[in-house]
Amino acid sequence: MVAEKKDAVTASKGDSNRKSVKIEECPTYSHSSGSSVNEMVNQNGGDSEDSVSPRAAGCRTRRRTMSGGRAEHHLLTTKTGKKIYTKGRPPWYDKKGKSLKHPFVIGVCGGSASGKTTVAEKIVERLGIPWVTILSMDSFYKVLTPEEIKEAHESKYNFDEPKAFDFDLLYEILKRLREGKSVDVPVYDFNTHSRDPNSKMMYGADVLIFEGILAFHDERIKNLMDMKVFVDTDGDLRLARRIVRDVTDRGRDIDGIMEQYFTFVKLQPAFDKYIAPCMDYADLIVPRGGENDVAIDMIVQNVMAQLVERGYDRNQNNRDRHDLVRDDLPDCLPENLFILKETPQVKGLVTFVRDRDTSRDNHIFYSDRLMRILIEECMNHMPYKDVEIEMAGGRKTLGKRKDAMICGLPIMRAGECMETALRSIVKDCVIGKILIQTNETTFDPELHYIRLPPHITRYKVIIMDATVTTGSAAMMAIRVLLDHDVKEEDIFVASLLMGQQGAHALAYAFPKVKLITTAMDHQMTENCYLIPGMGNFGDRYYGTGIDQDLDEPFDV
Amino acid sequence: MAGHIINGNSGTIPRVGDEEEGVGQLVLDLQEKGTNFVLLKKTPQILELQTILKDRTTNHSDFVFNADRLMRLVIEEGLNHLPFTEHTVTTPTGFRYEGIQFNRGNCGVSLCRSGEAMEVSLRQCCRCIRIGKILIGDEQKVLYARLLPDINSRRVLLLYPTIGSGTTVCKAIEVLKEARVPDENIYLVALFISPTGLKNITRKYPYITVVASDITSLYPNHFSTSYFGAV
Repeated sequence: MVAEKKDAVTASKGDSNRKSVKIEECPTYSHSSGSSVNEMVNQNGGDSEDSVSPRAAGCRTRRRTMSGGRAEHHLLTTKTGKKIYTKGRPPWYDKKGKSLKHPFVIGVCGGSASGKTTVAEKIVERLGIPWVTILSMDSFYKVLTPEEIKEAHESKYNFDEPKAFDFDLLYEILKRLREGKSVDVPVYDFNTHSRDPNSKMMYGADVLIFEGILAFHDERIKNLMDMKVFVDTDGDLRLARRIVRDVTDRGRDIDGIMEQYFTFVKLQPAFDKYIAPCMDYADLIVPRGGENDVAIDMIVQNVMAQLVERGYDRNQNNRDRHDLVRDDLPDCLPENLFILKETPQVKGLVTFVRDRDTSRDNHIFYSDRLMRILIEECMNHMPYKDVEIEMAGGRKTLGKRKDAMICGLPIMRAGECMETALRSIVKDCVIGKILIQTNETTFDPELHYIRLPPHITRYKVIIMDATVTTGSAAMMAIRVLLDHDVKEEDIFVASLLMGQQGAHALAYAFPKVKLITTAMDHQMTENCYLIPGMGNFGDRYYGTGIDQDLDEPFDV
Repeated sequence: MAGHIINGNSGTIPRVGDEEEGVGQLVLDLQEKGTNFVLLKKTPQILELQTILKDRTTNHSDFVFNADRLMRLVIEEGLNHLPFTEHTVTTPTGFRYEGIQFNRGNCGVSLCRSGEAMEVSLRQCCRCIRIGKILIGDEQKVLYARLLPDINSRRVLLLYPTIGSGTTVCKAIEVLKEARVPDENIYLVALFISPTGLKNITRKYPYITVVASDITSLYPNHFSTSYFGAV
């Protein structure tokens, strides 16, 4: 009974597999993707750093062939070799589904090679907040014309001037990030001086750090910042670092670098002209860059204090799980909730799926059948258009054709069971993926991984999950879609079993999202599992739970 | 009241799913006689499937895919009319759930050739259901009939996708009757049935159950040719 109860508690949280995957394991797969939900800087921690030589004392260099390449930004390696993994994103919206607060934006400005990134990384490291985004101004270099590329190759193009940057795009992206929406950050290729066709997806966060040599140059951008930090490093040290960086990472020769330096940096001093004046806007000036631990500690303390003031609670231990659920349930069920008609087949199938004594074989078979009926029902909520067709023999008749492209978005893992059903009904559907797990300490859902098709706004998106208990996972999935500019009315939530509270929470937050379920439970226990419920669906379907029937014929 | 003039040159193009003239009265008559006639709800997704099957430009792959979908839906509906019993189970979390259990003692009989296309859908719902076969050739001659020995004690789902005049189906029911299957145990499951066919069949066998997605005289001809690809 103890084991079973534990099982049930897991099941009750609305999705499935948080017991089987440790949070620490997540970066293993998010590392390979360009769109893991969490973005942190640094690709060449550890080994590659040592290959850089000669190194300016204590300085870190970045590989600069690509700005913010797809592979980086997933974990942070500190100098002591400690890895800070990105963790899932906790809710950034309240129980009404509205955004809670905009991220705390820190601007880091300073001359080229002054150690801005080091400062940014150290801030991230010491803040210890899992959800931080670092945005680099390098991504916003303008695409060069052929003539300019030629100049660039001859080291005659000035990269340190405001006109080298696309401030309009930068402003748009920062503004969206600040609103917590997703953005496509360009990836700048320093070899071709163009943007890589694969941009990088980023999200807003609790803290957003923006670093760049002209971070404070544009008035609009400056106004988006909550804190402005200027990194002031000695000019000679910066030149030394710059030579190392440009030689090793951008494949330039010393002569070229020196020529560029004297033309643009020293003689026509971009630094004095554009960068140094930025110092006036800074709230804080950090001398000696990333080495200045005292200054960084001060920044971190200040940021933490301001975050706490805004209601950010890093421990959130005392947070009530029911926070995201409405306790005052209305008498009638929400209008956007559709429960399948309880035909004998539906009821009989639900019985099989709920029964703890159903063998795995039968459980899989009958839940597959039930999911098929569920997805067919979802199709009734899609838009259709009238078409005129000709039948064999030439008779004409008016018919209907679906007027929508369908995207399935299963919430890992239990939701993935429905992929088969969706595919057997919509041949050409697109299937995304989203991983949301409940934090064992805070009981908050956390977003760990997301894959969406390009042009997601063109689709009707069906979020699929086996059970919607409190609705917290589905709410996060909806919120993510809205942040991707998917319209609320284009979102559907399909599940086998919904709890009344969860359905109300979702319906209240997103009245235009359609909720479609095969069954509904009206009660919930203290531990948030449904009565009578159906256990941990994912564990039963995939056979990863503690199993009653051990004598499966194919169970090797 | 939707307009639905179907005969010839009136200029109005009929709409998939619209009730044809006289059908309402026909259904009322059936109810009076005690025939259990079940028509699937005209949901947009079912109308779409019917549209695709009726459209002559639909290619083979799409025809099969969407015919399978529609057949699955009519079979699911057909199964809804089979008997069941109350059944209380315990969920993994230890609570009781008052559910139902399907009764045993059903079987399928497919009417060759097109009826065999529905066997897949039936098996997708009832994995190990027994399926008999009847093949009726030209001039309504029974060429082949292989039924279960105990078919008279079972409920029989008779599978035939498109019913026109209904003569073939009548012949098949005759075969079932010879095997002493009572009328009320016969469930005729079809995608499309024409009003004439329905009238002819139920005149002879008023106590059977008929399940179809549409009652229309504009049913797609040559279903098996389109589905199997062989004339």
